[in-house]
Amino acid sequence: MAIDRKRIIAALSQVQVNADGFGLIPAFNVFVNQLPCEFWNSFAERLTRQVGPDMLEAAEWLLVDAARTCGYHTGYGIITSEEWKAVVQPMVEKVPEDILHGAFAVFTAWGWAKSEIVELVPAERMVVRAYDYYEADVVTLGHSAKPSAYMITGVCAAFMGLAYGGDYDPTGGAAMRAFDCVQTKGIECGDEYGEFVTTRAAV
Amino acid sequence: MAVRTKTEIVLDQRFDPRTCRHSLNGQGIVLHCHHYISLYTQLADDCSLLDAKRLLTEVAEDSFSVALASYYENHNVTNIADRFAIATQYYAVCGLGSMKVLCAGPYSGTVELDRSHVDESWIAKWGKREQPVNFITQGFIAGMFAAAMGRPTRSFSVVETQSIVSGAERSVFNVVSN
Repeated sequence: MAIDRKRIIAALSQVQVNADGFGLIPAFNVFVNQLPCEFWNSFAERLTRQVGPDMLEAAEWLLVDAARTCGYHTGYGIITSEEWKAVVQPMVEKVPEDILHGAFAVFTAWGWAKSEIVELVPAERMVVRAYDYYEADVVTLGHSAKPSAYMITGVCAAFMGLAYGGDYDPTGGAAMRAFDCVQTKGIECGDEYGEFVTTRAAV
Repeated sequence: MAVRTKTEIVLDQRFDPRTCRHSLNGQGIVLHCHHYISLYTQLADDCSLLDAKRLLTEVAEDSFSVALASYYENHNVTNIADRFAIATQYYAVCGLGSMKVLCAGPYSGTVELDRSHVDESWIAKWGKREQPVNFITQGFIAGMFAAAMGRPTRSFSVVETQSIVSGAERSVFNVVSN
């Protein structure tokens, strides 16, 4: 693999997004925001703890879907950005596998999760491990029975959709939903790392 | 009282290579896009099992009041006008839009948005609608007033009376002490 994670992380972790004169941040074909991690964690955790066991799955699906949509569109913006072309594109030899590895290096550089692909069966299955991620901060003492990394789960599915789901569809659609991801381990659950298994979505 | 804007916010943005996390003025931050914030807002708006709009507002109030109060303490910002000036700049740094505090006092206030990330994101995804959607800014304003006045969270109620998402030129929020 030609992807140099360390170099990508060192370069892209220094990219700062700045608001324009209107307090908006247009970047990577979307408008971005930079909010406290605590804000996102607090809403997701309090929501999933309050909806009750019958509706937990539906609430979690919606949180994951928000991340899937974000990951699909912003992910496409990233891999077509000038920053990507300058830093990552020259390392890409095998398409789309190297792009996927590069995307998780960028994912790491931007503070979403210190993560990497540990297993990849092209177009079929991907296993990602995250060794540090803000979504684990919902637990400060002991272990949770409920995994909480909805954002990483959604983004893993989205990145596989971008790699193997067909041409990018600005409306989302089938390509964005071609893969599903399940969180099988979590730091918040007492595991050493978070683990995310992405496979083809059931038809 | 007219609000002066003489204070420039100091930004201390860092990346920790060990954890690969970013922080702004000591608080962990993360980039997300307009799709993500719109879908969280929609989730809160659609949720019928609990008052998730209120939850989203309170979560925003809690997070932003901590960020602002901590900034005021660390930079010794004691003047009320300077506190509001810092808060509106912080709002813009977050990418949430352009905010003006038209008036503020211990019992009430009025805040305007010329541009709004949440409203404009909603319009970009689903178009205009009559009801307000900017629950996050409601919470931000409540937290901003609490931090500026040195009062605990939930001290102020905020109602959006005019909305960019509904086609208005600017959003208007009325603030009342509880």
